[in-house]
Amino acid sequence: MTDMTKGSTRYYMPRKKGFFARLASQWQLALMSVPILMYVFLFNYVPMWGWINAFRDYGNRKLVARGITPFNGLDNFKWLFSRPDFYQTIRNTLAMSLINLVLGTFSAILLAVLLNEVRQKTFKRTVQTVTYLPHFLSMVIVVAMAQNIFASTGPVNELLTKLGIMKNPIFWLGEGKYFWGLVGVINVWKEVGWGTIIYISAMTSIDPALYEAASIDGAGRFQKILHVTLPGIKSTFVILLIMNIGHLMEAGFEIQYLLGNGLTADFSRTIDIFVLEYGTSLMDFGVATAAGIFKSVVAIILLVGANFISKRLGEDTLV
Amino acid sequence: MTGNATQNYKPRKHYDVVFPIVNTIILVILMFVTLYPVINTVAISLNDGTDALKGGIGLWPRVFSTKSYVSILQDPAVYQAAWISASKTVITTVLNLFWTGMLAYTLTRKEYVLRKFITTVMVLTMYVNAGLIPNYLLITKTLHLQKSYWVYIIPTMFSCFNMIVLRTYIAGLPEALVESARIDGAGDIRIYWQIIFPLCKPVLATVALFVAVGSWNSWFDTHLYNASKANLHSLQYLLKMKLATTNQSANAAQSSVDALANTASSKTTPVTIRCAITVISTVPILVVYPFLQKYFVTGMVLGSVKG
Amino acid sequence: MRKLLSVLLTLCLLGSLLVPFAVAEAQEPITLTVFRGDPGDQPYEDNKIYKKIEEEFGIKFEFEFLAGDLNETLGLKLQDLEDLPDLFDGGNSAEMIIDGGALINLLDYINPEDTPNLWAHIEPQKNRVITKDEITGEDVMYIIPNYGLTDGPQIANSVGGPAFFIQKQVLAWGGYPEIHTLDEYFDLIERFLAENPTNADGTPYVGFDILTEDWRRFCMINPVQHLMGRPNDGEVLIDVNKEDFPTETFINQPYAKPYYKKLNEEFQKGIISPDTFVMSFDQYIAQLSSGIVLGMFDQAWDFGDATNALLTDGKFENTYVALGLIYDEDDVPAEDMPEGWKIEEHYLNGSLPNLDRGFGISVSCKCPERIIAMWERMLDDDWQLLFNWGVEGEDYSIENGRLTMTAEQYANTQDVEWQRHNKARAFFESSPKRQGWILDGDLKGNCWEPGNQDEIVFGLMNDYDKDFLGHYGYSKFADFVNPPIELAPYGEAWQIDKAPIDKDYQDFLNIQDTQLPAVIMASPEEFDAKWDAFVEAINPSCEVYSNFMHEEVLKLVAAYYGE
Repeated sequence: MTDMTKGSTRYYMPRKKGFFARLASQWQLALMSVPILMYVFLFNYVPMWGWINAFRDYGNRKLVARGITPFNGLDNFKWLFSRPDFYQTIRNTLAMSLINLVLGTFSAILLAVLLNEVRQKTFKRTVQTVTYLPHFLSMVIVVAMAQNIFASTGPVNELLTKLGIMKNPIFWLGEGKYFWGLVGVINVWKEVGWGTIIYISAMTSIDPALYEAASIDGAGRFQKILHVTLPGIKSTFVILLIMNIGHLMEAGFEIQYLLGNGLTADFSRTIDIFVLEYGTSLMDFGVATAAGIFKSVVAIILLVGANFISKRLGEDTLV
Repeated sequence: MTGNATQNYKPRKHYDVVFPIVNTIILVILMFVTLYPVINTVAISLNDGTDALKGGIGLWPRVFSTKSYVSILQDPAVYQAAWISASKTVITTVLNLFWTGMLAYTLTRKEYVLRKFITTVMVLTMYVNAGLIPNYLLITKTLHLQKSYWVYIIPTMFSCFNMIVLRTYIAGLPEALVESARIDGAGDIRIYWQIIFPLCKPVLATVALFVAVGSWNSWFDTHLYNASKANLHSLQYLLKMKLATTNQSANAAQSSVDALANTASSKTTPVTIRCAITVISTVPILVVYPFLQKYFVTGMVLGSVKG
Repeated sequence: MRKLLSVLLTLCLLGSLLVPFAVAEAQEPITLTVFRGDPGDQPYEDNKIYKKIEEEFGIKFEFEFLAGDLNETLGLKLQDLEDLPDLFDGGNSAEMIIDGGALINLLDYINPEDTPNLWAHIEPQKNRVITKDEITGEDVMYIIPNYGLTDGPQIANSVGGPAFFIQKQVLAWGGYPEIHTLDEYFDLIERFLAENPTNADGTPYVGFDILTEDWRRFCMINPVQHLMGRPNDGEVLIDVNKEDFPTETFINQPYAKPYYKKLNEEFQKGIISPDTFVMSFDQYIAQLSSGIVLGMFDQAWDFGDATNALLTDGKFENTYVALGLIYDEDDVPAEDMPEGWKIEEHYLNGSLPNLDRGFGISVSCKCPERIIAMWERMLDDDWQLLFNWGVEGEDYSIENGRLTMTAEQYANTQDVEWQRHNKARAFFESSPKRQGWILDGDLKGNCWEPGNQDEIVFGLMNDYDKDFLGHYGYSKFADFVNPPIELAPYGEAWQIDKAPIDKDYQDFLNIQDTQLPAVIMASPEEFDAKWDAFVEAINPSCEVYSNFMHEEVLKLVAAYYGE
């Protein structure tokens, strides 16, 4: 974590004692954390025996229904990696989650900063409340609107042709090359306000004295944003970034499923859709679990990598 | 404080004047962009169902009708479900704040010998998932939580993401707070509850919002474990079922009766029901939000600490 | 001791004598848990039909409806066979719960002596309904079909399933022509569009829509078999006139090409818009409801909401007629036809038992005999009338031996809220029921279902439709297509469970989804190349699918003939 504790802990950290002696002296901390550790162990780790299903054959549904699922080694993994379209879904997943990560983070921070600069409290609250509302709309509703907005005869095309930017309407929804961008835009539209909440609450911990000090030094608004606000939310930003890098294999499936169609399928299908089509909905838990393990392994590699780089750069770390 | 009041009156640079104006304009535009889908949803929900099928409704209903709301709200089961949802949301939120905050605090204590271990164990839970069946068997066969209210509470008492958010915030608080308390002879439990916890209001409000929204919006637990117990249905589950049945009757309506004009009176349709459901389930969150929002006020915390 | 024993014995004897009475008379109240494999509304406490069930049978129900994914839900329920719902309806994946051993064999309880009603109900279709267990070889029946075991001649007033649809105004504008081929169909639409590019409001008409969203891709895929003259077998074409029932997927065959070639031409002419391939179901319904779509291939139940919207607006001329289009002789070159194939239009099929759909009784049910006894009794006329028509005097009336409903009473039956008070949908829909004609008693000649009764179908028909039919000299909309043919021995092939080849089947679907729209949208020069590429891509999965279906069809045929 942060290094703010440097120089202070030495008074309280019992030196040169054994692990258990130290643990015993920290019984209060243990009391506050070990019950949750046990809870997490029960609810998150005990069911992990289910990973063994990745090595079982769920191919024959009649046998599966009778509880017969023989071990089949690495067949499920082999099957996954033998599918050319599985690689395509990996590419799509990574592309869309990267776009979401960059656009989402950038827009959330930008909006948080802009909001932070608003002095008028009522206005600030109103903007905040309004912008976070779309988060509560279901994806079905949002995508339905997007489909109308980006239709051949929709407002976007109308605007572009009227402004003379385009001669003919663009087939936004039917061409794969636009798909990732559309997903990014729709996600920002829906989540930008919600995304700011965490940054705004992080800004509350910035010492007002820092702003005053910056004013004394003659800093303008931009300098204050640059030198006080942004550094103030840096830990939050870094921690969220590391966490989200670990989540790059998760681009979801709902928006892609709703917005995608046959014409854009090569760009819209994510790993989750693939697993849904060829695993879960066919009751093939072998393939589904194998894909899950693959995703987890990649996630952990990404996470450790991001954490390591962050540590090297002297920034906050997740673990 | 080190502030000097006279500094506020020094001449402003030109962008200090322009910026607020530009900022306001940007935010107003953004408000309209994000408000549009919301108003559109409300407008559709207040439109006649059959008419709404034609699409093209903007910011105002074309044929006004409250039928979608009536058809949902006249069902007494909705109120029972709302009570279930509200109560489980409150309980889950309180329990989450209780556990998550404590754990987050312990994981900011550098001297804590289990810190690294626990952190790793917790963080991994965000990236590994056992899958549906093992989780289902744990809840049903091992813990026998199905067909009970407890299934809403017990498995949802903790979330690692929220813990990390809290931990980041607590780590940003001045270490001196803990030090001075320790010199006064306070143990970690007291330090947390008396000093750290009260300072975490903004982030606790944030986490409370995340947990509450998650709990309020969840329907899958009802579907998996309590679907056969009508009196334990959550609101979201019930609303989801309403949407599903409207969808279904839309299809089933057409058997041999395509010629019967007078039976096709105005009815609810999936389009309007979906929007009415969204409004009904979002309003409670809207009502609660201002109470949490007031904690997100910049500068409150440290100002009060450092004095 | 001896005394005691004899007393005990006497008591036992008496007890066993009393048992039949105990079942018939002192019905101990029980609550059955019920799972329905589709979404539904909980009935209200005061529901009058459930009250009557409770009074007569002492049985109450606790319903659970499907909220999430069906397969997932069933998969989880199968994890614990000791805690299953008593009445278990697996919806469209009932094969899973049968294979999973969740249901009891109903033949242990149903036979001509003990349950004459139920036996008579299934007897005419017993070769389809009763199957042989693959492992033990014994006769089994896990589910009594919820629909399709009908009494009397088939009722076909309208086309409820697949067809090429066209707006009534287009036919009226064309002078009420008979339309039988693709060329006639598109030609009429083209001519209409040329003269009427927009409707009265100035909104442009859409010539032909092709819905492709998710499982509704059937609107793009299925027409070929019908153009070849067969009713709905899903995605395969079966030659029922040959002894070995040759079965093949049709989408990759040369005789499919003319249809997509035609669509390609219509696309080039602007009759089909590219937007149709990115359209969601909601957008499709929106277009149809606005009355601007002149034609499409679909199944009538799929766009019921749109029809209702049009009727509500009084736009009768924008509602649709189902046409049974077939290939013209010169549409398909002779060498591309399957051997010995003759095209004859058959959009309507014989009445089809909805096999393996409906309630089964689970292995964890404590009182299967009570459920069977209840169903047996419920097949009597009074209960069937109660379920179908409601309470006499309240929901319907009998005049001169005819069952009738007022327009208002009929409208009630369509009202979901009303149903929750007055209908036992959740139970009855999945239970064995009588359909078709009432064959005996005072009410002979009436229909079991109000929606089929002449007084309702024709009595409540609007004037536009009466006039419209008059121009053709037809009495009902089903007259636009040929009368139903006899159901093939295998039933309808779409019913076959594709689980054993599910991954290949998924490939089959995905390739169609991604490539077929591009084929239709191809430029004329590219069309052949794109079609060939499509056929090549889909051939491997087609082969697996065709072979599998052929085997299954043969199995069903053999079972039907009792071999």
